Amino acid sequence: MGYVAVTAGEEVITRAEQLFEKQRVDGDSAELGIDQVDEQLGRLTAQAMSESGLYAPRLAGLAVKQAQGDTIEAAFLLRAYRSTLERYDETVTVDPGEMIASRRVSPAFKDVPGGQILGATKDYTQRLLDFALEGGETSDPTAEWDVDDAGEPDRLTNVTELLREEDLLHEPDKTDSEEPTDTTRKSVTHPPARDAVLQELARGETGAITALGYSALRGYGQVHPTLAEVRVGRLPVRITHPYTEEPVTVTHTEVTESEAVVPVYEKRDDPQFAFGYGLTFGRNERKAIGMTVLDASIQLDSEAEPAENAEFVLDTIDGMDSFGFIEHLKLPHYVTFQSILDRIRSIRERQGVSAEGAADTGSTHQPAAEVSDDD
Amino acid sequence: MTERGSNEGADDSDPQAAETDGGTHVTSDSVDAALDDIETTGVAGYNYAYLDEHTKREVRRAMLKAVAIPGHQVPYASRPMPLARGWGTGGIQASLSLLDPTDTFKVIDQGADESVNAANIRRLAADTADVETTTDTTAADVIQSRHRLPEEVLTDEQRLVLQVPITDALRKVDPSDTANRRRHAHQNYGKMWVHLYENVVEYGEINIASRYPTMVAGRYLMDPSPIPRWDVPKLDDADHLTILAAGREARIYAVPPHTSVEPLAFEDRAFTVERFPDQACHACGSTDTYLVEVSEETTDEGGFETRYACNDSSFCAKRRETPALSKDHHLDQSGVDWGPGTPDAGDGGETK
Repeated sequence: MGYVAVTAGEEVITRAEQLFEKQRVDGDSAELGIDQVDEQLGRLTAQAMSESGLYAPRLAGLAVKQAQGDTIEAAFLLRAYRSTLERYDETVTVDPGEMIASRRVSPAFKDVPGGQILGATKDYTQRLLDFALEGGETSDPTAEWDVDDAGEPDRLTNVTELLREEDLLHEPDKTDSEEPTDTTRKSVTHPPARDAVLQELARGETGAITALGYSALRGYGQVHPTLAEVRVGRLPVRITHPYTEEPVTVTHTEVTESEAVVPVYEKRDDPQFAFGYGLTFGRNERKAIGMTVLDASIQLDSEAEPAENAEFVLDTIDGMDSFGFIEHLKLPHYVTFQSILDRIRSIRERQGVSAEGAADTGSTHQPAAEVSDDD
Repeated sequence: MTERGSNEGADDSDPQAAETDGGTHVTSDSVDAALDDIETTGVAGYNYAYLDEHTKREVRRAMLKAVAIPGHQVPYASRPMPLARGWGTGGIQASLSLLDPTDTFKVIDQGADESVNAANIRRLAADTADVETTTDTTAADVIQSRHRLPEEVLTDEQRLVLQVPITDALRKVDPSDTANRRRHAHQNYGKMWVHLYENVVEYGEINIASRYPTMVAGRYLMDPSPIPRWDVPKLDDADHLTILAAGREARIYAVPPHTSVEPLAFEDRAFTVERFPDQACHACGSTDTYLVEVSEETTDEGGFETRYACNDSSFCAKRRETPALSKDHHLDQSGVDWGPGTPDAGDGGETK
C-alpha cells in the first residue's frame, strides 16, 4: 500500500538490525574484544556506566561495542538491563573521605593536607596527534620507573573540612528521611529533595551537564565556584553481612568526586560560602565538576537563570529522555500534520489568502502562525 | 470495563505473581547463574510480560487511581524499557501491566498496524506476554495506539492505551510542572482560556491542531495526547476505558467509561474537527473517516497529484471488502454516536 508512509513488518525491522550489525563487522580488522573496550576505551565505558547508573565495567564494554561507540545508546542498553534485575540489598552508606585516590587536585589552596596528586591526566599535555599510535606496538612508558612502595595511603583530609571547622561553609539542607530517595523507583516531583537532585545529576548526560554547568559560568547564573577537591579513586562497596551483621566490603567502584565552595553568601547576618557537590561513576572530571556547579546553582533555587531552576535542569539533563524524544521526531507524524494543515488552511481562508499568494488585507506583516502540535 | 476492572483485584492470586513472589522470575538460586540464564536465553529469561510483578502492580495501582480521578495525572516510576523513551514506553508499560495470556492485542501507530514502531511494540508484547495479536479493532481486548482512536466503535469489553508524549495541556502556556500542578489543584485554567482567546484575536479562530485541551468530568483539564480533534468527541461518554500513559514523563491518566470529555471552546467559536471538503478515500470511498493526504508524482513531468486515504488502515481494508460497513457493524445496536461524520448517528456529532 503506497499511502502508508512507513510500512513495515517484523522482517523489515530484523533486516534493519542486521544492516546495522553489518556496519560493525564490515571492515577487514579484527573483532574488537570486550576487554579491549574496557581497558583501552575506559572513558567510553565510564561514561556509559555513569549515565546508566549501573557500575559494571564488562557489561559497559559489551554495551559500547554493541552500540558501536554511541555512549547514550550504550547507557540506554545498561539501564534497560538494570531495570530487570532484582534488588538483593542496599549498600552501607560510604564515606567518600576514605577514597583511595589516584588523582587529587585542590585548586582552593596552594598547599593542602595530603598534597596534590596529579595522577594520570592529559590536562597539561599538548593536544598533538600522536602518529606513533597509528600502528604497531606501543609499550608501557612507565615500565622503567623506579617506585618505592610507600605502603597503605593515608586518609586524605578533605579541604572542605578545614573550611567547615572555621564555620565558613553553609551546610546544605538535610533530607528529612533516613531512607534515600530513588528516582528510578519513584518519579521526580517538584520541588525535589536534594538527594533526588544529586541522583538525577549523577545519571545525567555528560554533554548536557557540561553545557548547563557552563551556562552558569558563562553568565547565565551566579555560581562561579572555587573547587576544593577534585578526586578520582576507588570507593568500597559494603553490605551488611546477613549472619554477622558486620559490614563487609564486596567490591570497589571507581568514582570521580568534586566539591566546591561558592562565594554566594547564604545568610546576610552570618555570611557563609555555599557548597556544591558532584560524584559520578568512573573517570569523568568534566561531568563531576559540571554536576558540582549545577548542585550549587540549584540550591540557589531561582527561576531567573536556567541552571538555577531545578525543574529546568532535571527536565533536560537526562540522556535517555532527551535522546528518545529528539529522535522520536523520525516517527511518522502524518496524522498530526494533517491536523496542522487543516488549521493553517482554515486560517488562510479566513484571511482571504489563496494558494497564489497573499491577498491585500491591508496589514503589512503577519506574525508567523504557531500552530500547536508539539508531539 | 467493570468486568475487567474487577479482574484487577484478583492479581494477588495470580499464579504468576505467587510463583515469583512478586519479583523478577529468578530461575536459579545463585546470582551468577541467574545472570547467565538471562544472557543465554534472551527474552525468554525475562519475567512474564517483561516487567516484574511489583512493577506491573504499581502501574495498575496508578491506573486505578487515574480511573478514580478522571483526567488527573498520576506519577508512577516509569521503568527504562528496551524501547527508546518517546517511542511508546509509557503505553507499553500500561499494556504489559494489563495483558494476560488470554488477551488479544492490537498496536497502531498513526492509524497503521504496519508501522515499524507499532510492529516493534507488538513484537515485544507477543514475545514476552504470550498474547495473540490482531489488526482487527473489533477482535482486540487491549489496543495500544499512538495518536488515533480507531474508526470502529470501541466497546465496554475493550481497553484503549494511548501513548502520551506531553502529559499536560497547560504545558502550552507554562513549561513549569510545579506551576501547572498548582493550577490543576485550584482548577485554575484562566491562562489556557486567555491563550485560546488570544488565538481568536490573532487568527480569527482557535489555532490548536492536535493535543486539543479538553475538560474531563468537568474537573481536570486534560491533554488527550496528539489525537486529531476528529477523535476527541469519541472519548466523550465512551463505553470503553482509555488509559493515557507517558513513559518519559512518568505519568498515567485515564478517561473512565461514560465520562464527559469536553473540548474547550467559546460560544461564538465552536470546537471544530479537521475538514476534508469533498474528499473521499481513494481506496475505499469513505467520506466519514479521518483522511490523510498523499502527494504522488503523476505521469507528466514534474506533476504531482494529491490523493486522500483513510488513516485507519484496518478499517479501510474492511470497507474495501464491504463499502457500506458502518462503524458500529459489530454491535447489537446501531446508530452509535462515534465522533464526527458518523452517518447513522443523526447529527454527525461534530460539536456534541
